[in-house]
Amino acid sequence: MESKAQTLLNAAPPYGHIIALEKWRDSAILENIKGAGVKVVFEKEMGVVDFFLPNRSCVLYISEGDIVAGNSYKRKLVRFRHANSSRVQELVVVERTRLSEQYFSSLQKFVVFDLGLTLLPVSGQTESSQLISQMVHSQGRDNPFRRRSVARLYEPQLLLLLQQIPGVGGVKASSLLHSFSSLQELCSARLPQLEPLVGSAAAQHIHSFLHNPLV
Amino acid sequence: PATTTATFVAVCILVDSRCISSSADLVSGLRQHHSINVHVCSLDGSYFVLSNRMAAERHSQSELAGMQNRKRLVERVNSLQGLFERVCFIVEKDSTKPGEVGRPFQRTRYFDSTLASLVQVGVRLLWSDGVRDSARLLADLAQLEQRKGQAITVPLEVRGHHRQQALQFYLALPGVGYVHALHMCHNFISIAQFITSSVEAIQKGGMMSCNRAEDIYRCIRYSCDSFLLNTSTAKKKR
Repeated sequence: MESKAQTLLNAAPPYGHIIALEKWRDSAILENIKGAGVKVVFEKEMGVVDFFLPNRSCVLYISEGDIVAGNSYKRKLVRFRHANSSRVQELVVVERTRLSEQYFSSLQKFVVFDLGLTLLPVSGQTESSQLISQMVHSQGRDNPFRRRSVARLYEPQLLLLLQQIPGVGGVKASSLLHSFSSLQELCSARLPQLEPLVGSAAAQHIHSFLHNPLV
Repeated sequence: PATTTATFVAVCILVDSRCISSSADLVSGLRQHHSINVHVCSLDGSYFVLSNRMAAERHSQSELAGMQNRKRLVERVNSLQGLFERVCFIVEKDSTKPGEVGRPFQRTRYFDSTLASLVQVGVRLLWSDGVRDSARLLADLAQLEQRKGQAITVPLEVRGHHRQQALQFYLALPGVGYVHALHMCHNFISIAQFITSSVEAIQKGGMMSCNRAEDIYRCIRYSCDSFLLNTSTAKKKR
């Protein structure tokens, strides 16, 4: 069963599609998802997963009924956690309603703290279809939170760093880096090398800042 | 190094001084009801440091639903992910003032797409009903990190003028957060010793990930270009 889920995942749904468990065929949630322009493929057997989304994420859906009825969803959650490899993003969509509210806090603790899964509360099927369709559509868009590759030019940062040394301002920081080019070289400089650049008082400050014991 | 799981050791959380005014109830709740050792310091944003590698920030639902907050939110996520391996957002229900009738939260498509994007970049989301709930979540997270041997155990006091200056110097390095800087203050005999350290020694001395230590190592040995030095106007780091 798990291996079946694995093969499905390897054939991850293309952009704009989801793979849904057969039991959801006539549900309101899928009607709305289709209405939002997402194409749905049905499967009879997907392990414990309810929906596969593009970009290696899968959803386990816990309804209000599951929560109120009792503990069998916990076993399902554990199987969900173990069935999928770490390369998959596991999302648990939970119906947080007036009836299930009292269980929410302990459910969150179990899902997030004990199992390390991502929990997304919804008020019901309408909200969950909006959430799932947004997740599908956002795969095709540029993620604003994705970090741009970090600049490997350290000049501005080093200029600021040197100004943390007492007695060194912008002008002195710049002239030090012009002469020594790196922090490591500045650190190996001796007092007579520093004095002509920044004056004897600042040279003394810099030297003792770098070399005086802290511990 | 794994710390013992002895429960009598008070778990430590660092908070930014701005949290004292904005989250006064939360901070006193952490101290009184969860016996957390809350240490106030000056961070680069109003967030909580829960362990050597984890930070948490509070956001109200309406904050995440408002398109006008996008730019600030992106900055917050980028800066936190630059400093921490694990970043949590505590999503709090909007509070209502006494006498005010709370409007039900309108869940917009924009809200859902923000959640989708946050989850995708690895931000952990936790859902809170309000201040008391958030305090409990923060305490639980910090305790969980303690059990995993990641608790903040470094001495928090930085005594003396020279050490204070050294702390500020370490904080100005790329990817160095407050806890890393504290470790470095206590573990390197002098700044010169730090500057001449290997990647492994930086990793160990700063209690940080290997990638972070490599980045710092690169910065120390980076040879500045005089043209770029002249054009670099001293921009704000974070």
